[in-house]
Amino acid sequence: MDISEMFETYFERLSEVAESEKYKQCLQCGTCGGSCPYGIASPFTPRKMILALRAKLIDEVLESGAQWLCTSCYTCSYRCPSQIPLTDAIIPALRELSLLEGNPPEELAAALMNTARYGNPFRESPRKRDSWVKEVEFEVPLISKKGDVDVLFIPECFGAYHRRCREITKALAELMYLIGIDFAILGNEERCIGDLTRLSGEFGLFEDLMEKNIKTFEKYSFNRIVTHDAHAFNALRREYPKAGFEKDVLHHTQLLYENLDKLKDMFNELDYTVTYHDSCYVGRRNGIFEEPREVIKAIPGVKFVEMKRTRENALCCGGGGGGVWLDSFIRNYLKERPAEDRVKEAASVGANVIVTPCILDVPMFEDALKMTGLEGELVVKDISELVLEAIKG
Amino acid sequence: MKICAILRVVPDLVEDIEINEEELIPFAYIANERDEHAVEEALILKEKAGGTVDVLGVVDEDTAGDIDDALAMAYAKGADNLIKAILSRKTYRRYEVAKALAGFLKDKNYDVIIPGIQAIDAFAGTLGGMLARCMRIPYIGGAIEIEAQDGALSVKKELGGGLLGEYRVSLPAVVGVVSAERPLKFVPFARLKKAMKEAKVEEVDVEVPEVEGVKVTRYYEPPKPEITLLEGEPEEIADKLVEVLREVSVL
Amino acid sequence: MNILVFAEVIENEVQEITYELVGKANQLADKVVTLAVGEADVNSINSDVIQVEGESSPLNYVVVKKVFEELKPSAVFFGNTLAGIDVAAQFAADMALPIATMVTDVSVDGDGFVATSVAYGGKVMVDLALKSPAVFVVNRGSFPAEDGKGSAKSVKKLDIEIEDGIEFAGYIKPEVEDIDISKADIVVSVGRGIGDEANIELAEELAEVLGGVVSGSRPVVDSGWLPKTRQVGRSGKTVAGKLYLALGISGATEHIEGVKAKNVIAVNIDRNAPIFRVSRCGAVADVLELVPLLIERIKEVKGE
Repeated sequence: MDISEMFETYFERLSEVAESEKYKQCLQCGTCGGSCPYGIASPFTPRKMILALRAKLIDEVLESGAQWLCTSCYTCSYRCPSQIPLTDAIIPALRELSLLEGNPPEELAAALMNTARYGNPFRESPRKRDSWVKEVEFEVPLISKKGDVDVLFIPECFGAYHRRCREITKALAELMYLIGIDFAILGNEERCIGDLTRLSGEFGLFEDLMEKNIKTFEKYSFNRIVTHDAHAFNALRREYPKAGFEKDVLHHTQLLYENLDKLKDMFNELDYTVTYHDSCYVGRRNGIFEEPREVIKAIPGVKFVEMKRTRENALCCGGGGGGVWLDSFIRNYLKERPAEDRVKEAASVGANVIVTPCILDVPMFEDALKMTGLEGELVVKDISELVLEAIKG
Repeated sequence: MKICAILRVVPDLVEDIEINEEELIPFAYIANERDEHAVEEALILKEKAGGTVDVLGVVDEDTAGDIDDALAMAYAKGADNLIKAILSRKTYRRYEVAKALAGFLKDKNYDVIIPGIQAIDAFAGTLGGMLARCMRIPYIGGAIEIEAQDGALSVKKELGGGLLGEYRVSLPAVVGVVSAERPLKFVPFARLKKAMKEAKVEEVDVEVPEVEGVKVTRYYEPPKPEITLLEGEPEEIADKLVEVLREVSVL
Repeated sequence: MNILVFAEVIENEVQEITYELVGKANQLADKVVTLAVGEADVNSINSDVIQVEGESSPLNYVVVKKVFEELKPSAVFFGNTLAGIDVAAQFAADMALPIATMVTDVSVDGDGFVATSVAYGGKVMVDLALKSPAVFVVNRGSFPAEDGKGSAKSVKKLDIEIEDGIEFAGYIKPEVEDIDISKADIVVSVGRGIGDEANIELAEELAEVLGGVVSGSRPVVDSGWLPKTRQVGRSGKTVAGKLYLALGISGATEHIEGVKAKNVIAVNIDRNAPIFRVSRCGAVADVLELVPLLIERIKEVKGE
């Protein structure tokens, strides 16, 4: 592609994403770069990207690799006084140009190709998607067998295949079973919801996944979707409606809060000092702050402490927006990962458990504990794991 | 330069393969990874030396549709012509495939024919060297870099342990590729879909001759090693580990 | 019965796989002749030897053909190596001989042979019946090398002209400053569980006695204890050799994605470490305590 083709492709994509013409209103204030976890390392912060676009230097941005130095944490978009859709449009559309040039970072390329072929980024068989069901001692019904249900539970790719994250899926399923929620899963009919493909700039693949998933949803009768994958939650809630999907979508923190009275009766005491990590796509992007805190604080014995950067200002784990597939790329620019910074912060406020609501956080933070030598002092739990522990004692 | 890359499908190991004594029933097929590298290297050679790249998909009736994605992928990356050679019957004997393809390729005047060096189902021969002999032209496998040089090729061949050999190969020739000079080019989903619509694939039926001498007597699963957990005093564990190292013939 | 073995000679050195082939051939045949192309020292090959001047080249199939026509052996053995497979496939096709590749075992069966191949990435075994004379391309590590080592019964030098078409221009030692762990057969890998940087030496010593190389998990590489080239896992390399010996590696999914070795042995103090779930054998022990003992025992076994 020559530069004029790049521009044409780029602005065509921007025009398809709502409100993207707002980039013209950029004040060049620099709030975005100042807010970015990678701001200090990036050759083109969002502000400079827009400046480069104005100066027709799009190729320089692409060559610098700055489009990949983004974990889609949404802090820049959240704080932007002109409300420019940096995370949803400006950066993914740049990434799309790299994809079209055929040279995205290799790990990410593999994850995207796997998702296109197998419906998951892990190169796992689609037929093994519900294999976690065999590892629990209660029945997890398939919606194709059970028929009408209240809740369709979506474990999404990490929750279905990633060894550590499957533990969270099993914990949440057990909670739903214990509370008596009428739920079922799609089993092997489930496929990647695709938020990471969208944020990675693979718009074509995202649209294909969305179309196929909506077709699958339409086959069945359920009231609402529950997922513990913050990105799946985000895409189902914000993107799928654009393609005609109209069901309610709940994050598991909301479901737990909804059932808090029942849970309270089941809780035993836990002797933990807990801090809560506001994950980007639960908190900042989708405004869920209180529900998880209420659930944690309801567990007897738990001492709750806040970190310094909380709620809208929480620091990202670095896993979002394809970040889990960009580790070695980003590593070339940055010494300390955001997750390492974050677990240190949790330790500094005296917590011995860091509770998260986002499935990507758990492997990111557990890895960071190894790197920072905090293993043993601090453990990472998804909120459903903490709640299940409180019930089982 | 007139270049032909060979692209085969093999069982997708991510999915299950049903195994019984007489046959294997794969759940799905996928492009042979080494052949994808062969296509990439063919396109790199075209960039460097000019010319055309034809991609020759080799399938049988059962797998004829399974190569379409991979052919479209090659087209999206810049292949000029796509050909699908449908073998008249399934065979694991590479010599039979080589003879069949040699018959098809002999009057096509390719300067260089590029297959992947090996396929995961190559337990009775490997295609590249056999094809070259059937066509009576030189063969070199293990290539990781091909350059055009004064009417011939300069090929860098892996020899193991990081060592390379450099060879000058006269044309026409068959060159078996281990891996392309650069990572496989990424093709976004929308572009692949577009290529699938646009790409024209010429289909040819290729008769496979029969050659006796080797036959499969049975297929079976390899014995699954039991997982043993060693616990106790370090001295005992060390002794047992030495036994295990012997079992796996490391010692 | 005669068997001809095509020696793997690289940079004028007979490679280990040659002895593995010779050892197996000695078991099956009354007379074994090893054909070596190049100026290597062939005196420790435990068979008769024919040595021909030349270089490692795919054209050596012509040399094999000439010797084959002279000796009329029942079988020809090649190593499944990047050099061996080029020669074997061309030789078999040129002579229209039956061939088995990816072979891990060969036995005599009446007038012919039975070969066992491991195909489909190790997921399927195939037994093949081959008519004599037949060609076998044998995987590394299938037979013990000791049986093929000894002293050459005779060494005959021959001059054989090979045709044009391919010219050897020389060896290139790549500028890569480091070994390629993805091509190593035996890999000793360390994780954060080894404590600190100084203990890398221990892993290196173990790798040395096993004839392998050292790799590591991402935290170890990030800490600068090993170079990036030694990293196993999603953001590193994939190892696919015979043995992966994991020391103090817990086995995060991101790491396991790069472990495709045939055998995984893990040492970890944590009984519940996920690495054990993908291991053939797991030792629940302190790496620093166990490894020195293990090195000692291996040295004893090897008679050092």
